[in-house]
Amino acid sequence: MLVLPALLLVAAFLLAPLALVVRYSLDVYDPASLMKGVFSLANYTKLVTDPFYARVLLFTAGIAALSTLICLLLGYPVAYFISRSPSERLRSFLIIITVLPLLMGNAVRAAAWMVIMGTKGLANALFLATGLVSEPIKILYTPTAVVIGLVSVLLPFTIITLQSVLDSIPGSLEEAGRSLGFSPLHTMFSVVMPLSLPGMLAAGAICFCLAMNAYATPVLIGGPSVHMMGPLVFQQISKVSNWPFGSALACVLMAVTLTMTVISTTVLAKRYF
Amino acid sequence: MKRRQFIGAGLAAAGVGVLGSRPAFAQSSKQIVVSNWGGDWNDRTVKYIEQPVLEAKGWKIVRDLNTAPQRRTKILAEKNLPRGTIDVAHVAISDAYLLNTNGAIDAIDFGKIPNASDLVPEIKLPYFEPWLYSTWEIVYNPNYIKAPPTSLAELWNPKYKGKVGVTNQHYEDYMQMASLLATGKLHDLDAAKKKLLELKQVNQPKVYESHQQIAAGFKGEEIWIACNYRARGLQFAKDGVPVAVSFPKEGAALQTFGAVVPKKATHKAEAYEYMNALLDPKHLAELCQANFYSPASNKVQLTGEMGTKILLTAEQKKKIFSPDFGFLAANTAGMLEWWNKAFV
Repeated sequence: MLVLPALLLVAAFLLAPLALVVRYSLDVYDPASLMKGVFSLANYTKLVTDPFYARVLLFTAGIAALSTLICLLLGYPVAYFISRSPSERLRSFLIIITVLPLLMGNAVRAAAWMVIMGTKGLANALFLATGLVSEPIKILYTPTAVVIGLVSVLLPFTIITLQSVLDSIPGSLEEAGRSLGFSPLHTMFSVVMPLSLPGMLAAGAICFCLAMNAYATPVLIGGPSVHMMGPLVFQQISKVSNWPFGSALACVLMAVTLTMTVISTTVLAKRYF
Repeated sequence: MKRRQFIGAGLAAAGVGVLGSRPAFAQSSKQIVVSNWGGDWNDRTVKYIEQPVLEAKGWKIVRDLNTAPQRRTKILAEKNLPRGTIDVAHVAISDAYLLNTNGAIDAIDFGKIPNASDLVPEIKLPYFEPWLYSTWEIVYNPNYIKAPPTSLAELWNPKYKGKVGVTNQHYEDYMQMASLLATGKLHDLDAAKKKLLELKQVNQPKVYESHQQIAAGFKGEEIWIACNYRARGLQFAKDGVPVAVSFPKEGAALQTFGAVVPKKATHKAEAYEYMNALLDPKHLAELCQANFYSPASNKVQLTGEMGTKILLTAEQKKKIFSPDFGFLAANTAGMLEWWNKAFV
C-alpha cells in the first residue's frame, strides 16, 4: 500500500504523455491551424501505404539489430573479463573506465566521431599514412558511421548489464566443468553462456530499444541522407509542425520496438530456459 | 542542535547568500527571457546588442537557446497556457507568419519602439519587427571557379559533378531557387522538383545538414559551389573558408530575421524595450559589420568597403523576390516530404 502513491505518480507521468501522443496521432494536420481535433486513421493509413516510411522503419530496425549484435559480441568478452578479474581494484577501475563515456552527452561523442570519420579526419589520415587507401574514403554520413556511433554509445550499457549477470554465476561452476574435462572454450559455451542468457537478452533489449529511438547519432553522424525513425519524428513535429503525423510515427516506432523486443526475448527464453 | 534547527539554519544561511548577491543587480531590476538561436548568432547578439545596450544597465537577460523549429513549437504549445515562458523570440519572417496565423503572437505597436521609425517597409509586418536580412546567392570557391558564376544554372554545370553542396535545413530555399531558375517565379513546385531531380542526376550534390557542415565541406574542398545567404558566405570567407559570393542574374529570394512577442509573454513592456535595443543604430551597425547581414533599419549607415560587400546595389534590389509566406506555410510539410523521399 505504501508504494501506491509513488506507483500512481509514475504511471501518471509516464502514461499521460503517451496517451496524449496516441490522441494526437488520430488528429489531422492542417497547414493553417496545424491540427484538427478529429478521430481519423489517416496518418496510420499514410504510414502503411507509403513505402518510404516502411523502408525507413525497416532500415532503422536493421541498424538497431546490427548495432545490438555488435555490442553483444564486443561487450561479452569485456564483461566476462571484468567479472572474473581477480583484483577488486582492477575491477573497479575497469567499471569506471566503461561507464566514463556515459558521462559525456551523445552530441559531444558524436562531434568527436565527426572529427575522426571526416574526409580529412583522423581515420582517413591513418588509412592514407599506412597505405590502406590511396585517397580518402567516405565514412561520415553513411550507415556504417551510424552503426559505429551507436555501438560506441551502447557498448557501456551492454558491458555493465552483462557484467552484473556474469557476477551472479559462481566461478565454481566453471571449475566443475573443467574438472569434467571441458576446455575453457567448451566451458564458456556449455556452462557460462547458457546461464548468462537472461543478461544477454536484457542487454540486447536495452541496446535495441535505444538504437531504434536514437536521434543525435543518426542526425550528426548519419547526415541528411541516412533516414531513421527518431529524426523523422523530430522533423515532423518540430520542422513542419505536423504533430499528428509525427505522433503517428512515434506510436508506430514505440509499438514496433516493443513488439520486436517482446517477441525476441520470449522466443529466445522459451528456446533456452 | 536538532535536525530541524540545523536544516533551518542552513536554509537561512543560503537565503543570506542569495540576498547578499542582490547589489549586483541594483542598477535595474528588469528581467526578460529571450529565445534565440544558439552558436555564433547568439554570441554576436549578446556581444553587440544585449550586453552593451541592456546588460550594462543592469538588465538580467535569461537566454532560451534552441533551433527555430523548437522555438516555434514552444511558442505554439504555450499559446494555450495561462503564462508563457518566452518574452521575446528571434524568428525568421516565415515563422512569424505561421505563429501569427495560429494566434500565438501579439500585433506590435511600433509607436512604442522609437528606433523602428525608419524600418525597410517591404519586410515590416504588423506582428514582426524586422532586424536583419540577406539574400539567397551563389557561394563558390574562387580557387577552382575563377570567373564568378553569374547564373544559378552554374550549379547544374556538369563540370562541377560531385562538387555541388546543398544544405538539408534549407530545403525551402533550394526549392525556391530551383523554381526561380526554371520559371522566374519562386513558388512553382513542380518545376522546382523537376529541376532539383535534374541536379541530383547530373551533379550528385553532397547534402550537408546546416551552415557549419557546409562551411567545413568548402574548407575541406569537398565542394566548390553551393547556395547560401550572402551574409553566411561573407562570414565563411571572414573565417578563412575559401569562398566568394555572387548575386545570380535570375535574382534572389529574401530572408529576413526579426523579433516577435508571444501572446503569453509575461514581460511585454521589457520586450518592447528589448526590441528597441535591437534596432539601436550604432550597435546594429557594429553587428552588421560582424555578421554581414543587412540592417532592417534605414537609420543604420554602412559605408566604405563593408557597405559595398553587405548592401544590395540598386540593380540587385530590383531582382529581389519576397516569398509568399502563406504558400510556404501551406506547402512546407509536402516540400519536406518530397525533399526527404526524392532528393536527399
